[in-house]
Amino acid sequence: MAESVVTEEKPKKKAECGEMYTWHEGMEWNPVERVILERRSVRRYQDRQVPEKLVRRILEAGRFAPSAGNSQPWKFVVIRDREMIDDMERYVRLRCKLLRFFLDWRKSPLGRLAWFYAQVAIRLRPNQLHPIPCGAASLLAEGKFSLFHGAPTVILILMDKRGVSKPEIDVGICGQNMVLAAHSLGLGTCWIGFVELLKYGVKWRRKLGIQYPYDLVEGISLGYPVGDPDGMIARELHEIDWWENGLKKTVF
Amino acid sequence: MAYLTWKERFIIPTYDNPAYARSGRVTIDHEKCNGCGMCVKICPGSCLYIAGVGKEKKAHLMEVEFPDCMSCNDCAAICKRDAIAVSQTYDFGYFYKIIHRGELVFPRRF
Repeated sequence: MAESVVTEEKPKKKAECGEMYTWHEGMEWNPVERVILERRSVRRYQDRQVPEKLVRRILEAGRFAPSAGNSQPWKFVVIRDREMIDDMERYVRLRCKLLRFFLDWRKSPLGRLAWFYAQVAIRLRPNQLHPIPCGAASLLAEGKFSLFHGAPTVILILMDKRGVSKPEIDVGICGQNMVLAAHSLGLGTCWIGFVELLKYGVKWRRKLGIQYPYDLVEGISLGYPVGDPDGMIARELHEIDWWENGLKKTVF
Repeated sequence: MAYLTWKERFIIPTYDNPAYARSGRVTIDHEKCNGCGMCVKICPGSCLYIAGVGKEKKAHLMEVEFPDCMSCNDCAAICKRDAIAVSQTYDFGYFYKIIHRGELVFPRRF
């Protein structure tokens, strides 16, 4: 790689920018908190394409994500070609049909055999064969559910398997950086986990570069949302174990 | 509070029995709803529909045993009149049972 000494001027820091970044109890949400709390996954997009410079700006936010040992084990693949996106959807739909043939004992011609395969497969992969992805795979196979929700731009995040410690988590952190940056700039995003089915196709492995050392982990669909889907919602409280002063208390 | 019993750690149901699972549900305030249909468009589980004519257009949740509601609250976020919100979160029970959770609360300003 080329040697370079950074010659541009460093941008001004947030700490020099204002009062809204200093905490007072009960204060109004600052812009960063607002973006985080109002973020909703967007599954309806306008047809217009996202400008190239805007996508580059969002990828910059991903570039600066933290990672174990600063290994930055990610590689972005940006797809803006409608035909290619439709092609990928078609392939994933085919794989879902295959999955349904072997595992959906309610509808499969294999009947009872599929029930048996399902019992085994669910115990080998309980996270991937959780009821919700199974339902989504079924809808995908029937064509009622669109993998990329009609988004004009798709960002795939490839993970370098040689990354330090847990590269999947680093990919998640990087992706969320991009998602938050996108929402702060008026775009909508949605995490697409089903893209991992693409790695089972030789054609896609070659085309997208999902070969050693890279593995396809997640995708993010990106575009201008229909309407104004971002907003604050009510979500379940989580039980928190709080250890302080030698005592444990349970907080919600 | 829900905890996982030993039996539940090992049973991974294939959902032969719909009693194992509980879907999400929403409540819609028909006083506030004007039938604009944004919630129907945005729902990822496609479980809402608009019924009625003219001024009587209102949103409804599909009246099936198990609507595909994943209690995501996207409908609540997009509704300009706060007419719809999640009333029940989904829970698939047994191996996937929800534990250590409280009720639905908006972001709290500590």
